[in-house]
Amino acid sequence: MGKYILKRVLQFIPVFFGVTLILFLLQNVVPGDPIKMIAGDKVLDPAVELQMRVSYDLVQVDENGDPILDENGDPVPVPLPERYVNYIVDLFHGDLGRSYQRKLPVTDIFADKFPYTARLAVCAIILEAIMGIGAGIISAIKRYSFWDILVTLVTSIMVSLPAFWLGMLLQLFFGVYLHVLPLSGAGGGVASAYPEWMYYILPAFTLASVSMAYSARIMRSQLLDVMNQDYIRTARAKGLSNRSVIVHHALKNALIPVVTYIGVDFGSMLSGAILTETVFNWPGIGYEIYRAITQRDWPIVMGGVTIIIVVVMVINLLVDISYGFLDPRIRFGAPKDKS
Amino acid sequence: MQEPSSTQRGGMAAKAETKAKVSGAKSRTLWGDAFKRLRKNKLAVIAVVWIIFVILVAVTADLWAQQWLGSPTASDTTQLATTSLLPPSPEHPFGTDLNGRDILVRVIYGARVSLTVGVVATSISTVIGLVMGALAAFYGGIWDTIIMRLADVFLAFPYVLFVVAMIAALGNGLMNVFIAIGILGWPSIARVFRSAILTVKENDYVDAARAMGASDFRIIVRHIFPNSVASIVVYATMNIGSAILTESSLSFLGLGVTPPTPTWGSMIQAGQSYLQTAPWMMIMPGLAILTTVLAFTLLGDGLRDALDVKMKDA
Repeated sequence: MGKYILKRVLQFIPVFFGVTLILFLLQNVVPGDPIKMIAGDKVLDPAVELQMRVSYDLVQVDENGDPILDENGDPVPVPLPERYVNYIVDLFHGDLGRSYQRKLPVTDIFADKFPYTARLAVCAIILEAIMGIGAGIISAIKRYSFWDILVTLVTSIMVSLPAFWLGMLLQLFFGVYLHVLPLSGAGGGVASAYPEWMYYILPAFTLASVSMAYSARIMRSQLLDVMNQDYIRTARAKGLSNRSVIVHHALKNALIPVVTYIGVDFGSMLSGAILTETVFNWPGIGYEIYRAITQRDWPIVMGGVTIIIVVVMVINLLVDISYGFLDPRIRFGAPKDKS
Repeated sequence: MQEPSSTQRGGMAAKAETKAKVSGAKSRTLWGDAFKRLRKNKLAVIAVVWIIFVILVAVTADLWAQQWLGSPTASDTTQLATTSLLPPSPEHPFGTDLNGRDILVRVIYGARVSLTVGVVATSISTVIGLVMGALAAFYGGIWDTIIMRLADVFLAFPYVLFVVAMIAALGNGLMNVFIAIGILGWPSIARVFRSAILTVKENDYVDAARAMGASDFRIIVRHIFPNSVASIVVYATMNIGSAILTESSLSFLGLGVTPPTPTWGSMIQAGQSYLQTAPWMMIMPGLAILTTVLAFTLLGDGLRDALDVKMKDA
């Protein structure tokens, strides 16, 4: 087991550096000078501009913190590889730069937003697990029945519609027409007309919708697959009831891929949050990124994306490792090359 | 986006039946057989009809849509009191928006953006994917390791977020939307093509071709590609749908294609503020996205069954 974990962690390292390198290059190599972008349309005073370049670590400085000038009197830019190293070091220190507009460190801005996103994602995962697995089991057991066709139809529609649009339809139906659930926000205020938990229902369902459909499909095909195995026939042959065969023999094996999918999916929940939170004015990371997009505050956008991606990668690593615990075949089995 | 491993459903029995019928007839090409099977799949036929309809409407819009429904972008500000936020009526089948513009004509012109993004982005992904997959499978060794690791890196990204980051870095514009969505789609195609090559490569006819002195390029293009084109077509079809979805997410967030060019995503975004008073503003473009993406998904499903392609995790 230790060897397996070590292997996974070692595989994680190049992926981590690859991902951060791409994010870094996106921020630094693409056209558009960050300092000019801060200034917007205004023309900056050269001295101010130089000072800003120093404060964003874009030019080389001597030990006093003054910029080093070359023979023409121009500042010497920090070479790209060195900036990447600085970026990684800063990343490990929890520094993702500062917001253009609010002059605050990006990490501070996100620190109090993250719990909202995490709580919403946890609710969505629970919904996804219950409804996705449930629907998948029903449609597999009652194959070709009305329920099976219904599940197939609904999952096809759910993966084909934009989740943010589904969210707005839910708002329209439950909030505007029926008045049974709050339209948006996270509640908790003095004036809120609904108990706080009700604010979670619509956003969590919206966030879970696509993954719910996929996990129902995976559950169905896995269960159908397992039901054809020899050991299921053996279980039936020794006289077990249909129920007992499904619960004790089939489900145990069919669940593993679904559980992994749902685990990995926690990551895509965090990234899907940008759309869901925008629809529901949810005060989390996603909505903050959306606000930053509208204000062209790129450090917040890039910083938020970086935070989510790094969290997602760590979660995927943990899921991979726990998968090894769940299923010995993975631990001892063939190399990862599944394609 | 992940595709569940095998989503074979109700069609199994029907498929076996059609196969038996087909094999009784005289021999035909793979595509002829596939077409026959596809025609028996009602959902796929409806999907094809819908896709053709949407394409025709989008392409010919300049000839009739503006005369009938007015301009999709400009608005007559003097008349706003009587034209703004009208509910659907015979005159404006989908209603009007805040600026008094007809929603139907905007949905029609929005189809142009969505279809172009779907097709162009998918073409970019497919070309990159084919080249990468061929390099990885055919040359193996270090090439394989580097390319497949790179594919892992790309797949590790949460898709929408990365597209958001790319547009944030590259700036708005249709071209950048093509690039951002196109660049991200290659790993699944590359994996499919790579594994297809690895299976086909072992066949005797590849050895035979090599013995006759065929170059690597010729072997890939003439012998391997035709044998894996079926799975690539299936993946590309489904990819068009997801590219359209991604573009709508981008324009919903206000990234990518900028106003006043109508896009389905930005129309939904505009409708958000009028959810209570003018819900048709967001419902109509959403229906356009749903039906179009669903059509590409169903067509992909139908092609998969008709061409008998085994879907793997990608």
